[in-house]
This record gives sequence, C-alpha cells and structure tokens, in this order.
Amino acid sequence: MMGMFGRLNGHDTADFRKRFQRLFVIVLIAIAILTLRLAYLQVFKGDEYKLRSENNSVRLRKIAPLRGLIMDTNRQVIVGNQAAFDLVYVPSRVVDIQRIIEQVEAFYEKRGLSLNNDSQLTGKTRPFMPVRLEKNITMAKLAYVETHALDLPGVVVEVAPVRKYSGGEMMSHVIGYTGEISKEELEKRDDDEMGPGDIIGKSGIEKFLNEYLAGKSGAEQVEVNVTGKVVKALGHIAPLSGHNVVLTIDFELQKAAWEALDGKRGTAVVMDPRDGSILALVSTPSFDPNLFNSGISKRDWDRLSKDPLYPMENRAVSGQYPPGSTYKVVVAAAALAEGLITPDTRFFCNGSFELGNRSFRCWQRHGHGWVDLHRALVESCDVYFYNIGKMLGVDKLAEYARSFGFGELSGIDLPREKPGLVPSKAWKLAKRKEPWQLGETISVSIGQGYNLVTPVQLANAFSALANGGALWRPRIVKQIEASDGRIVKVFPPEKKSVLPVSPEYIEMIRQGLWGVVNEKGGTGSALRRPEADVAGKTGTSQVVGLPQGEAARRAKILSGRFKDHALFACFAPYKHPEIAVAVIVEHAGGGGAVAAPVARQIVDAYFHLKASRAAPKAPVAQNVVIERAGQ
Amino acid sequence: MKFDRQLLINFDWPLLGIVLTICLIGVMNIYSTGFSLTAAKAPLYLKQIQWIILGLLFMLITLSIDHRILVQYAYVIHGVAIVSLIFVIFYGYTSHGSQRWLAFGGFSFQPSELIKLTLILALARYFSDHGTQSRYSIKDLLTPIFILLVPFVLVVRQPDLGTALMLLIIFISMILFVGIRIKDLLIAGSAGLLLVPLAWFFFKDYQKERILTFFDPERDPLGSGYHIIQSMIAIGSGGFLGKGFLKGTQTQLKFLPEQQTDFVFSVFAEEWGFIGGVVLMILFLSLILWGFKIAQYSRDLSGTLIAYGITIMIFWGVFINIGMVLGILPVVGIPLPFLSYGGSSVVVLMMGIGLLINISMRRFVMQP
Repeated sequence: MMGMFGRLNGHDTADFRKRFQRLFVIVLIAIAILTLRLAYLQVFKGDEYKLRSENNSVRLRKIAPLRGLIMDTNRQVIVGNQAAFDLVYVPSRVVDIQRIIEQVEAFYEKRGLSLNNDSQLTGKTRPFMPVRLEKNITMAKLAYVETHALDLPGVVVEVAPVRKYSGGEMMSHVIGYTGEISKEELEKRDDDEMGPGDIIGKSGIEKFLNEYLAGKSGAEQVEVNVTGKVVKALGHIAPLSGHNVVLTIDFELQKAAWEALDGKRGTAVVMDPRDGSILALVSTPSFDPNLFNSGISKRDWDRLSKDPLYPMENRAVSGQYPPGSTYKVVVAAAALAEGLITPDTRFFCNGSFELGNRSFRCWQRHGHGWVDLHRALVESCDVYFYNIGKMLGVDKLAEYARSFGFGELSGIDLPREKPGLVPSKAWKLAKRKEPWQLGETISVSIGQGYNLVTPVQLANAFSALANGGALWRPRIVKQIEASDGRIVKVFPPEKKSVLPVSPEYIEMIRQGLWGVVNEKGGTGSALRRPEADVAGKTGTSQVVGLPQGEAARRAKILSGRFKDHALFACFAPYKHPEIAVAVIVEHAGGGGAVAAPVARQIVDAYFHLKASRAAPKAPVAQNVVIERAGQ
Repeated sequence: MKFDRQLLINFDWPLLGIVLTICLIGVMNIYSTGFSLTAAKAPLYLKQIQWIILGLLFMLITLSIDHRILVQYAYVIHGVAIVSLIFVIFYGYTSHGSQRWLAFGGFSFQPSELIKLTLILALARYFSDHGTQSRYSIKDLLTPIFILLVPFVLVVRQPDLGTALMLLIIFISMILFVGIRIKDLLIAGSAGLLLVPLAWFFFKDYQKERILTFFDPERDPLGSGYHIIQSMIAIGSGGFLGKGFLKGTQTQLKFLPEQQTDFVFSVFAEEWGFIGGVVLMILFLSLILWGFKIAQYSRDLSGTLIAYGITIMIFWGVFINIGMVLGILPVVGIPLPFLSYGGSSVVVLMMGIGLLINISMRRFVMQP
C-alpha cells in the first residue's frame, strides 16, 4: 500500500507513542497549574479581591508638567510658574456630582467662603476619576479644607502649577495666556499627548509655541484610601518640563513703551532695523493674563470679551488702520524709482487739488506754495502727493506698497495676524464689483481711502527705510532651549526682500524724514532731541468713512469720540539706526501732537537704557549663583 | 482531487464542535466588553462573528487540499508569506506603534499571524524529509534555523515581540519533538544566550525599552504593572460563581485594560467565576489533547508534524496568555486563541483547525 505519499522514512505511530505520552503529561501539568492558580485567586482569595474590586483603590494619576519659562532678550524671566492648589473630588463610588458640590458649598458657608466654580458639572461620577471642583483656591480655603479633611470624604487638595506673568497687562498681548484645553481643541488633535483638563496656550506666544512650552505629562500609580488621600505610591513616571523660550523683547523697553501709552488707546511697536527683532510690542487697553490662572470667572470673562474697546485684541498685529501720511514715504519711493520725479521736481500747492469738478484739500488750507520732495515730506504737503499719486496710478502704487510689506502677513511669530489691505483696480472689481475711480487714487496717495496697515507692517516698512532697503521678517522669538539649557531651536533673522528702490533714492527719503523732525516747519518736532538723531513721519488717519465693520463702528459710538487716529513712525539714530518705532493712538487727534510724544518717550527710554547698560555695573545675583553651582 | 465519501464519514465533527463552542464563548465575552459602550460604530462582537465565518471559509480550503500537497509546496508557501512580511515594511500601516498590518480594500491583515502556520508547514516538510530516527545535530538544523530566522527578524523589527516570541517557541517545540542531541541542545542554548547582547545593538531605544519591560514589568508600573493588578482584581473578585454575564464591575467600569484582546480571559473569569474558568480550561484541554491524538495517529510523518505544530501553537497561546493574566508569567502581547478579538488571528487559527481536520480525516485513506 505504499504510494508516492506512503509511509516514508519508516513512519510508525508506535515510534511516537512515548513522545506523545510525555506531551500529555506536560500539557496536563500546565493546565493544572493554571487551574490551581485560578482556584487560588478566585476561591481562596476571592473575598479579598471582591473587596478590592468594590473599593478599587488603585488609580492612575496624571502629573502635569511644568510649562517652559519665557524670558526676554536679556534672559530676564517674564513668565514663570508658581504653585497653586486645586480642590479635587475623588469619588470612591458612583455619586451625583451636584450633591458633592452642594456639600462643599455648605461646608464653605460655615466660614463665609463661597465656591468659585464656573464649570457646569452635572451627572454621575465614575469611581476614582477625579473631578476638579475649584481651581487655584485661596490660602484661607486651603487651610480650612486641610484642617477639616474628615468632614468632606473624597475631597482633596492637589498641587497644580499655574503661570506667573510678571509682566501682567503690559506683556499680555505678546505672551498670551493659558487655559484648560477645550473640547474643540482636543478633537482637533490626533495624538494622545493631551487629555481633558490639560493646560494649553490660548493666545500669543503661549499659543504659538505651545508644542515647545507644554512639556509632557508624567503619571503616577497610587493607592488611595476611602477619603481619596494617597496612601501609597506604586509607580511613577516623571513629567518632562517644557522648553524655555527666549524672546527678542526687551522687558525694560516694553515697560517704557507701556508707560508711554498709559491711559491711551493704541499700540506701539519697536523693532531693530538691523535684523527685524521686535524689542517692544504694546497694545492698550490690555488685560491681566493672571486672571486666567484660576479658570477665569464668568464675570471677568464677560467683562473682557464684551468690552467695546477690545482689550483682548492685539492691536499691533490684528489692528488695521489707514496709514495716513506715513504712507507718503511709499508714494515718494515709487515715484522716484519709476523716474516720474526727481528730488527737484516741484509742484505748486495753493491748498487744494482739483480733479474734474472735485476738490481735494491739503491739510494746510493756505497752501505750501512751490514744494519739492524734501519740503513735501517735511511739511507733509498733501497736494504734492496728490500730483505724484495721480501720475503713478493706483496699481503702480500697490506694487510698491507690497514691496514695503503692506497687504500681506509680515510673518511675525504671533497668532491672529491680519494682512491689512493694499487696494488696486483688480481688488476693487473683485470685492466691490465696481470699477476704480481716479479720485480714489488721490485719497490712496495720502494714505486714506481703502488703505489699511497693521502697526507691525508700519514699523517694518520704516525699518527697511532705516537700514537702507532690507525688509526683514519681524522676529519675536530668539530661540528655544531645553530646561537643561541645551538649544532646541534657533530662530535666525530672516531677510524677506530688498526694496526695489535704489539706495540714493532711499537716502533722499531718509533726509526728508530727518527734516520732518529736525527742520523748521517739520510736523514731527516733538522728537527733536538735542542729538538731532531721530527721523520720522507723522500721520493722521481720518476715522469718518472708515471701511471697517460693525465692531469698529460700535466701539466708536460707545467711546463717544469721532476723532482721527494719530500715527507716528520713526527710526533712530539717523546715521546708524538701531530702532524703528511705530505708534498709533486711536481717536486721539493729529499724529504730530499725540503720537509723536509717545514715540519720543520710547526713543528716550531706549537711549537711556542703552547708556545705563553700557556703564559698568555691579555683578548681579544670578552670576553668583552660577559660580557657586560651578564649584 | 476527488472528494471521497470516505472523507466525509471520517470528518472530525467533535473537533469542530469544540472549536465552535470556544468561539461562541469568545463572541459572548467580547459582547460583554463592549456592552457599556453606547455609540460604537460596528459592535466588536459582530465583527468577530464576521471573522469567524471568514475563518470557516478558509478552513474549507485548508481541509480540502490534501496536506501532503501542502507539504510539497511548503517552502513556496512559506516564501510567499515572507514576501508579504516584506511588503508590510513598505506598504504596511502602523497602529499602536507597530507596523504590522496590510490593508486589502476594507480588510486589514497581519502577515505575521500567517507566518506561524507556514513556519509549521516548512519545518514539517524539512523534518519529514529527514526523518526522526536519529537525533539532530546543530549542523543538520541549519536549514530549519534559516527557515525560522528570516521571518523572525522581520517580525522583530515591526516590532511585534509577542509574535516573534511565538515563532521561536514553535520552533523550539518542533526541534524538541523531532529530537536533538543533548550536547547540541546545550551548545545551541548557550549560543542563543550569547547572541542576545549582540542583537541588542541593533535594536532601537524604544524596542530595548519594550524588551526590558517584557522581562521586568515593574519598569512600566503604569502600563503592564497596572494592567496586571487590575487583571488579578478582576479574576479574583469573580469568586467561585462569578458576578454574572455583563455584571463584571472591573470590566464594565473599564478598570481592566485591553479587555477585548490580551485580557479577555480576565473578563470571562470575572463574570463566570471559577466554574466558568474550569469549563474553559476543560475545553482547551480537550482541544489540545484531541490535536495530539490526531498527530499521533496521522498516516504519515508530515501529518504528525503539522498536527503537532498547530496543537502546540494553540497550547502555548493558551498557557502564556492565561498565565500572564493570572500574574504568573510576564506581560507579553500574546492573544488567547479563539477568545481574543483579532481578525488575522482567528482566520489563521481556523486555517490551522482545517489542517487538523484534514489530517484527521485522511488517516485511514491509504491511496492518494
């Protein structure tokens, strides 16, 4: 019976009998071991485990990491962390959370305290899933809860670090603030790194660099007793601190800019024209980011979000304003570069400019007489710029405006930047479904009409004039470092483009700007320092007819003011500029009268700081610590 | 190939009966783990039923082709499976940090599951060619080692250490069964131990971490350590009679991790108690002993080796998985055969059972 598949190799079942007998024994022993272990767990230890399952006391607890520090350019810490205490309820069984909240409220009541809980907690708890009842409790509450722990079973105090914003209001638009991650933010993420209750940056640098600042949560496996107190730590994974961020902001200069704008509504941007670093960026009115630490109360939130003056908005990057006469530098550069004028080309200003049957007035009703480029800039003659604007046409103007960085995002490392608006024929046809009118070109050439710029763009454009034509990306983050000091990422200066205007033309405009400040009849005399080292341009943008939305209109009406915005943009020192400054004060009047004095304070503060830092100084405390650590 | 009446008469109904009973328990158990989920897209237990039906179809294929033909093409089949493993490197998608799935339309498949079966086939081919009269020396085993090593390395780098371990265990079990010289066994054992530190250099950091955790769960007290504690509480609290179907608090309150996969036995033991546990043990024991009986009475050596290999694979799956959830073995990602949720695993197991039935019903047929 041996076929091709027959019993090859003398195969015989008897051959294997012994091997299979051994296998049977092994398998029986193995299954017996499992069954005995099962009996041990379920029969002998069954009651014990039943008890443990009923008050399952082992739980995983997340340990929040420390967020990274934020430092200014001189490594002064402007955002740190401080210990805070949360009131947490750890249920040992399923209960209605509302009942617990009522109990805590009644407990607080005895000492005249009240529960500050805005989150709408409802429903049943899950065993050993902690519920945060109140964030960042006061010392009085902490002492009270800790000494009466037995009265509130399951309610415990947990340490949770919160942000400490030493800059307060003056830095809040740059730094932003943090808060608990929202459901929407959580859904947008596809990693497992973040969970409910985790802290995330909500605006400013905190948001922009959240991935670096956040760090990584640790975890802890703990056994808790019936009151929710940890009795034994069973395992631990340390959290990883977030990276530290070094900004280009100079905290002292920021402070000076904030003080210069004190009581006004507006914004100031200070930039280093040599590399695009932002040294100060202020927006007023402002808000205190520390408010968000305890989970901002509904009252505070409503006050901030419904304020008609929009304290939460960073006007320096999100505010869009008509540039007014500061725009004349762009018009002048375009006309020179296009060869339409020379510095000696003169126009006669009799106080108005006629186009068809319309008349466009110069701000100087009596007229400036014959003006050349220099006089036109110094005295800000509107008629001169009406003439050259008309010669250029709106599309050429738009081309040069874009080369100065207007009409597009500057690329600053801050969220919610707006691009502003550079109008052109095509734009109007697309957006307004109407052809362009020549009269509109006339308005645009003195920075009125549809033109909109952000303060950061304005500072950047003047920075380009200051440095001879290089347009930098405004840089606010210098570098990111790990908590051990290792450099994680460097943000080098980035030259975006070069103005399409030859250096000698730029020099002519620079001279004009120097005249604005330092010559007789100049509109920016508020900046006339003894050193005669500032060059700048005033601007006044008419608010009436502002093409802005409902929000701006409402703000205007509520403020009861219909005054113009005051603008001033400048750079200093004239020979080798180190700062470019843009200031806008909303609804305040003329640029020379209102914005220029603000800029003056900032420029003075800059040179004062520079002088005091150059002077030899006593060794600072920080160095001592470092030396000691090194020994 | 004509399908003889004889074969139908000899069809191994008891084996199929045991397997389907275990599968049924598995589906019921998976139903329980998903019970507290409110809005699951497709309930997992329904998907498991689909996989079992698909597995039964594949079983029909493996039981209708004479196993001797499969043995004849064993190397080719193994080679194809290895190619699919290589495919995973380029086209596979990653889930839970491991790249081990291939997608076909709506399905996804784990070639590393299939490789277990083809490894058994290939080894059966080699050892049936070379007989079992005399014990093997290491030199004789170079080809089998090669047969193991290629897929082993591919699976380790996915990384799927549980399956890699299973391949190694299947291989060692086969070697011990066909017989190896004691001296050579000692040499191979010590050589293997020496190779470990060498291989260490080729691992990535996270792989090292995984391997360390494998040997010492305390390294990861929040992962596997936590799992084991919760698993033991679940099993122990089930007591003698269990808490009842859908009433396991550890399961329903989600204290128990990986309920549908690695810790599926804990769910069962919590709800059905020691009684349920013993019933399941008896079912597995019957399946394993039945498998060995088929191996013993196979008409040819290759049948014996295939049946032995498949049965020992099931045995180790049961022993390691249950030993792990009972807290007597380290936590490794080895699923419980037929009970853990997993499409590829179920289909491959069913194919294996098909082979067992195949060998079983042909033991009386002498002529091809």
